[in-house]
Amino acid sequence: MASDRLIASQKTSFKNAVDIAKKGTHCGMCRFDFLGSGICPAGRKKGFLAYWPQGRMELIKQLDSGRVKPTDKLKDIVKSCNLCGICDKQCNFTTQLRPEKVAKALKEYVDKLDNNEFQNIPEDDILRGLREIVGEEWATNDPCIISSYTFTIIPRDSELDYYIVMPENTEQVSRIIKYANKNNIPFLPRSGGTAFSAAAPTVLAKGLSLERGIVIDLYRLRKLEIHPESCTATVGAGITMFELQKEALKNKLRALAAEAGAHVCSNIVTTGIISTWGNRYGAFADNFIDLTTVDDEGEIKKHSDLEIKNPYSTESGFTNLSLTPHSIVTEAIVKLHPIFNDEEIVLVPYNNLRDAYRLLIDLGKRGIGLSLAVLSRKYLAEFLSPTLQISKDFDYVCKNYLKLNYVVSIICNKDDKRIVEDMVEYTIDHSLMKSLILGAPRFSSLRESEFMKILSEEEDPLKAIFAGPMRKHLEKALDPSPEQVAKVFDEDLQDFFKKVYSKPEMTDIIWLHAFRILPTRMMRQQMFMGPGGAMWTGDENHYLNWIQMFSDLGDKLNIEHSLGFITPLDHGKFAYMEYDYYYDHNDSDECSRISKIVVDSMEQSLVMGKVLTILNYLFKGIYRKEHVLYPLAEGISKEEQELFIELLETVLGGKL
Amino acid sequence: MVKFLSEAWIEIGKNYMLEKLDPVNDLKNISTSLLGVVEHIPPNDSTMNFYLELKEGKLIEFIVNSGDTYKGKEAIYEIRGNYGTYKSILQGEMSLGIAVLKNRLKLKGSKMQALRLIKPLDGIIVSLREITDEF
Repeated sequence: MASDRLIASQKTSFKNAVDIAKKGTHCGMCRFDFLGSGICPAGRKKGFLAYWPQGRMELIKQLDSGRVKPTDKLKDIVKSCNLCGICDKQCNFTTQLRPEKVAKALKEYVDKLDNNEFQNIPEDDILRGLREIVGEEWATNDPCIISSYTFTIIPRDSELDYYIVMPENTEQVSRIIKYANKNNIPFLPRSGGTAFSAAAPTVLAKGLSLERGIVIDLYRLRKLEIHPESCTATVGAGITMFELQKEALKNKLRALAAEAGAHVCSNIVTTGIISTWGNRYGAFADNFIDLTTVDDEGEIKKHSDLEIKNPYSTESGFTNLSLTPHSIVTEAIVKLHPIFNDEEIVLVPYNNLRDAYRLLIDLGKRGIGLSLAVLSRKYLAEFLSPTLQISKDFDYVCKNYLKLNYVVSIICNKDDKRIVEDMVEYTIDHSLMKSLILGAPRFSSLRESEFMKILSEEEDPLKAIFAGPMRKHLEKALDPSPEQVAKVFDEDLQDFFKKVYSKPEMTDIIWLHAFRILPTRMMRQQMFMGPGGAMWTGDENHYLNWIQMFSDLGDKLNIEHSLGFITPLDHGKFAYMEYDYYYDHNDSDECSRISKIVVDSMEQSLVMGKVLTILNYLFKGIYRKEHVLYPLAEGISKEEQELFIELLETVLGGKL
Repeated sequence: MVKFLSEAWIEIGKNYMLEKLDPVNDLKNISTSLLGVVEHIPPNDSTMNFYLELKEGKLIEFIVNSGDTYKGKEAIYEIRGNYGTYKSILQGEMSLGIAVLKNRLKLKGSKMQALRLIKPLDGIIVSLREITDEF
């Protein structure tokens, strides 16, 4: 009887673990130490994704669905985890999930299996060849390990006909590619997998994934050297943006950085690093001094080679689509930028987008500020709030009482700050932002308060709260403190989060802008898709109509949506815009609707013209911005529109 | 058994296209020429190419050569890829369009013009798929 109860509880535990795993969004934040709590020792030692919390979560889903059967390697995967709990701290900070429960459930699952239930996967000739290149330990055909790469390079419904190989240097990457070609096996590099994980539930999965063959996991290329004298860094393909930024900061330098978990080299290739610092620091080929690449014949090249064919140009127009990188960047020498002693953050609140957009583009054209962006209310609420419910309430308060819908965020030096303050009536300063971070739970609880009702009756609630007499009342009501934020986390993690929120960087908006550890919180609603692109800023109405088109598509297809951010590029002549859709990636109907939004928004963007869509951005990062953004794309003709639809049908395998 | 890139493949392919493909409906009256370069052919890792020419939807020439250039005529388009990619296309696992977008096939020539050929070329690929049963 006791044994039956034990089995029942184990079943529940496994089911709960699968439910947790299904909410996982493959953000990869468990693969670097962004909270100072250390990182998963098993993952660090063994490398393959199945040994990381993210991979274990995928693996348990695959075991549960029957897509993969237990193998001998599964025992090693389970044994390697010492239940240290680091993953719970990291994952809870961003998405409130508890991956350690998944690790425990996997241990229980393996413990109750008989030895004869584990498959032995023999080495085949291809694997033997790969192991000769990288060493026995770093190449595998084990289905349990392979399945952990589902959603981040392997599509959900494919056969597990793959090899995973982890080279440690450029020469090994070259040899793997030559070997793959000789044996006619397709291959694709994988870094953080974050870009693909956003596309995986959508119609883009087929085009962007590897259908079978060799996954080249670049995690082991971990060279990272800062060169303070030249303000550069040498970065291997396994290094994340967070890791680069952390080392740069030690030398009082800053990298142009994408979100924390993105790998530097792959982000350079994929989108040329889209960041709010792009107007000052650059975009596309502005980001690097030199690249070491391996082309699809396995030839190693450097951009600095004298006899290389021009590597910086690309074709323009809507047919420049590319669904995979033209070559693998194994190492980059990237530019770093000085950090000034007098840097400050200024936030200008708005209730309408047009005014916020005007200020942003004006500042961009004048060259004011280091980081410039319009952030939407939803974006701000997601970033600042420690839980999903708090972010929803935070959003509600901003929308219904404060009429705070957009913020222009400006990081600048003191001189620029004075200019900005002369241009606007009032701003949100760093001190108030700090209070909003440490007082987010209280701020959210104000949704039913008399204070907010009174405030909303003011002629200009924003002015009253940020520049008027109400500010001191708000600050008092927020009662900001690390203790207060920590209370919203699970009880056993509260002490840890109190320490985290006591760190100065957690309330330093400049640090948060540079290290970008908060965007993953957008995944708390399970998944987001952020189409958009760059558009010429010369015609304000054209730009705002473009944004409205994304909003209309969200309404039409009944998917929660919001503007993400807008940031200027190339001295304000262009501005990148991300529009976000939030959905459940386990719901096939919602996935279909997201897919329709991706395709329709791209088609309508091309018809509108003067826009470079996110799909046109893909894999253009190593080229010069002058080649990518210019000439300005005119709207496509009716005939071109038909050709575009035909092309999409070819890619998608039929009508959507 | 018709082996990919063999003399028999060319002959049977030619006859099949002439008999089964309608110049107007299937091949849209296109006039074009295409050099397909096939690399990494097993077992010796060799390279071959095939040259295909159409005039107003009618097949004019379909030839196989060794090496990566066909000296006889200059093609308007060149597509280059490895043997495995061509095999995937002929076995229906991958479309021509996605092979180009995934950089598995490198295209030389105007992409915009090439887009207009995707549909008619799909007809030719289906023909070749019908007759190719050995790789």
